[in-house]
Amino acid sequence: MFRDALHDVLFRLRALFGRNTQKAQHDDELCFHLEQQVAKYVNSGMTPEEAERRARVQFGSLDQVQEECWEARGLGLLDSLVQDVRYAGRTLRRAPWFTFCAVLTLALGIGANTAIFTVINSVLLNPLPYHDPQQLIALKQNDSQLNLEEIQRDNHSFVSGGGINTMAMDFTGGPEPVQIRGGMIDAGFFQTLGVTPLMGRLIDASEDVKGGPRNVVLSYGFWKSFLHGDPQVLGKSITLGGNPYTVIGMMPREFNLPRERADLFVSLWVEYPSAAAEREVHFMHSYWRLKPGVTLSQAQADVAEIDRRLSEQYPDGEKDRHSLLQPLRDAVVGDVRTGLFVLFGAVGLVLLIACANFAMLLIARAVARQRELMTRAALGARTARLIRQRLTESILLALAGGAAGLLLAWTGTGLLLALKPAALQRFSTIRMDGRVFVVVFVISLLTGVVFGFIPAYSAARKNLAESLRDNARAFSGGGSRHRLRSVLVASEFALALVLLVGAGLLIKAFWRLRSVDPGLNPANVTTFYLSPPATHFPQIPLQNNFRRELLAKVNSLPGVESGMITDAPLAGNFVGHRVVIDGRPAEVGTEPVVQTLSVMGDYFSVMQIGIRAGRDFTPMDREEQPLVAIVNESFVQQLLPGQNPIGTRIDWIRRDEPHKWMTIVGVAADVKHSGLNQPVDPAIYAPFAQNDEAWRTWTTLVVRTQQPTASLIETVKKQVWSLDNQIPVSDIQSMDDLMALSLAQERFNMMLLGAFAGLALLLAAVGIYGMMAYRVSQRTREIGVYVALGAQRGDVLRLIMRDGARLAGIGILVGVAGAAAITRVMTGLLFEVKPTDPEVFGAVVALLGLVALTACYIPARRALNVSPITALRCE
Amino acid sequence: MGEASVELPQGTLDLLILRTLALEPLHGWAVSERIQQISSDVLRVQQGSLYPALHRLERRGWIKARWGTSDNNRRAKYYELTRSGRQQLEIERSAWEKLTAAVARVLETA
Repeated sequence: MFRDALHDVLFRLRALFGRNTQKAQHDDELCFHLEQQVAKYVNSGMTPEEAERRARVQFGSLDQVQEECWEARGLGLLDSLVQDVRYAGRTLRRAPWFTFCAVLTLALGIGANTAIFTVINSVLLNPLPYHDPQQLIALKQNDSQLNLEEIQRDNHSFVSGGGINTMAMDFTGGPEPVQIRGGMIDAGFFQTLGVTPLMGRLIDASEDVKGGPRNVVLSYGFWKSFLHGDPQVLGKSITLGGNPYTVIGMMPREFNLPRERADLFVSLWVEYPSAAAEREVHFMHSYWRLKPGVTLSQAQADVAEIDRRLSEQYPDGEKDRHSLLQPLRDAVVGDVRTGLFVLFGAVGLVLLIACANFAMLLIARAVARQRELMTRAALGARTARLIRQRLTESILLALAGGAAGLLLAWTGTGLLLALKPAALQRFSTIRMDGRVFVVVFVISLLTGVVFGFIPAYSAARKNLAESLRDNARAFSGGGSRHRLRSVLVASEFALALVLLVGAGLLIKAFWRLRSVDPGLNPANVTTFYLSPPATHFPQIPLQNNFRRELLAKVNSLPGVESGMITDAPLAGNFVGHRVVIDGRPAEVGTEPVVQTLSVMGDYFSVMQIGIRAGRDFTPMDREEQPLVAIVNESFVQQLLPGQNPIGTRIDWIRRDEPHKWMTIVGVAADVKHSGLNQPVDPAIYAPFAQNDEAWRTWTTLVVRTQQPTASLIETVKKQVWSLDNQIPVSDIQSMDDLMALSLAQERFNMMLLGAFAGLALLLAAVGIYGMMAYRVSQRTREIGVYVALGAQRGDVLRLIMRDGARLAGIGILVGVAGAAAITRVMTGLLFEVKPTDPEVFGAVVALLGLVALTACYIPARRALNVSPITALRCE
Repeated sequence: MGEASVELPQGTLDLLILRTLALEPLHGWAVSERIQQISSDVLRVQQGSLYPALHRLERRGWIKARWGTSDNNRRAKYYELTRSGRQQLEIERSAWEKLTAAVARVLETA
């Protein structure tokens, strides 16, 4: 059995490759046959001419015999495939408009899918770029370096673990001091990820100690942009935060941190020993590599045991420890997953709509070519062959559409990333790979086969006689085919409705979000982030003198209304402190955490935050004066309910020293510091001048001007550098931009889904328009008869539009049901909007209805202008 | 002279070709001549079906072709039976005999 099959295949292959010689031999064979026959007839007494004629007649068509032999040799299929492709190419070239429309329709559908799939492929499907990534675990909470070290020491589940926190650092040595992000790591960090440097070496455990050598590992990007790709960089010294660091290594170009961004890496113990030694300051992200065979839940139990011991050992600050482990991949992609899947679903619907249009185009074409097909069938073409030919054509179109779609997606992905969705920023490696190409190819092929087969089959099923009859009557177009088109149009409307509802929900949620009062007025406010190096300003008085001098200089600039200085406004970074209220001692370890902001200058008037009770800070709230604080409304509501806050005394928790009570002198309106869709947390504002935390060196200068001014930036930089030319000025942004940034992800989702929904609407409109136009052209005679019989314009209009309206109506009904079932998955993306928001549903139904009526009205109007004479003559 | 000829039932052509080639290698024309002679002009093989059938049998591996020289010194393609072709001939022959016997019984008794 197997040998037979093998023989068959080999034979076909030989036939294929040796076809030219074989063809010649084959001709020989047939000629020989003819000659023999002629000779036989001559022998039996015929004249040579007569013998020749007779033999030929008997033999029949030489070509046909030859073709049948080819088929017998197993070449038929291949041969006719090549023929079909050639034929399809020829007919498509002859119908450029049809080809263009079909390819464009599919290109839009496939292109949108490819772009989104490219992102999904890179973000969700590609493994993390680390060694053995499925063994990597992230600790959900941040922890302190001391605690991490205890877990590293005491666990039985991990091969290794390591922590990182990124901080702003200043790099001086270039033409301007610049601020960069430094990754403070421990020696276990790189080891756990399992990455190796491109050059040099990594920080090892013996160097990762307090007072250890100042060594730095560079990122490829930093090396390229700030050190000009110096090949001799190893061993050289660079100045970071005023200290010289020796370059010992450089990471490869494709290396990315799991969740953070850093330009270079230094040891936490070396760069920031005071923070490393704080057990209660939980600021390190940590990553762990499971031992082979250890499960996540075993590791979780292991860590819980260590947690229990730590909370017994350090009841003051570590009382509530609930470390949670999660696979690194979940930690990395968790927050973008829903958004991406919703988008993927959306482009899937777009593709379906595009396919429906594609199928309708094919049907229309089949009708237009009916005469040709009939002729070919009459000449003996077999049904299977006709179907195969039509399929070849649709597959060819689909593949062309896929190729064009790839091109669209290539530019589209660029556009997508240019929108800089915050959540995608850390994925610097989004690009098309082999998998994307394979998926696009398969999608195109399937589209061509499935959506080409339906119309091809329905066209071929009609028998010859029926077609002839149809053609004689010149209209009606075949019942089954018409039903098919109706189903397609209705489905398009249903799908488009689902998409539009999704987009509508996002738009409404975004609009809601935008209309949230942030509690401040961002117009004409510019922020500058400065980081006075700790080496230059080690003590608080020095820091505050610098701030005061800078404020005085800035306030005297022309056009400046007023300025102030704070830690970091509206960027979501805050120092949280546990706070105690005088006279209301809370159990140790359960004190509430509040946001603490240091301020200097006219904070509330620059931000235009209302003072609801009490007073604003004054220049008199400074060193050596009674300590004061202003709290926000949420603080009062949550921590001092029903109480007059003014005069209440508060302080951070202090373990080993007496309290330094601050008196609340005012209550400020709530401000949405952490983002417009986030609830407001209790916050305390306290003057920089009365601050006793020397590590609060962060300084954000916030300036309100009378008009927007571009020149302000350079002027302010000069003022800063006139005080100290080693201070980097970075993150210069208008407050408006900062606010927009906090909406970037929502804006991104909305714009994208909106674009896809728009595309869907367009395709559906084209679909119904195409169908109606076709129907009208088919019913021209019928309409002419009506008009001749005295039908009014309104009657004709109703007649034509009733069809389209009915289909659109069915589609819309089905779509509403579908959308109500599906939009639930979007709940997480919607701010204060229910997934079944009736306003959105209503608006979308109205919009689709309007589009459907318009798309039907245009061809219907054309029907009105038909004069009965032409209509009747058109037979 | 063509009035007496009968249409070949489907599938029998293969059997006839195999049987004809069982005696000696022949070229295509000779195959058709031989069938016509032996059947006393009753069975006539159309060239349109002969050559496709030969190629099909060749593909199946039941016959193989080689070029030789004909009686009148002309290059011709000779077909001969292979071993599996001989087996196939036996299979088809017995199938045919069973079929004709069965058909005959039905015709006689029914």
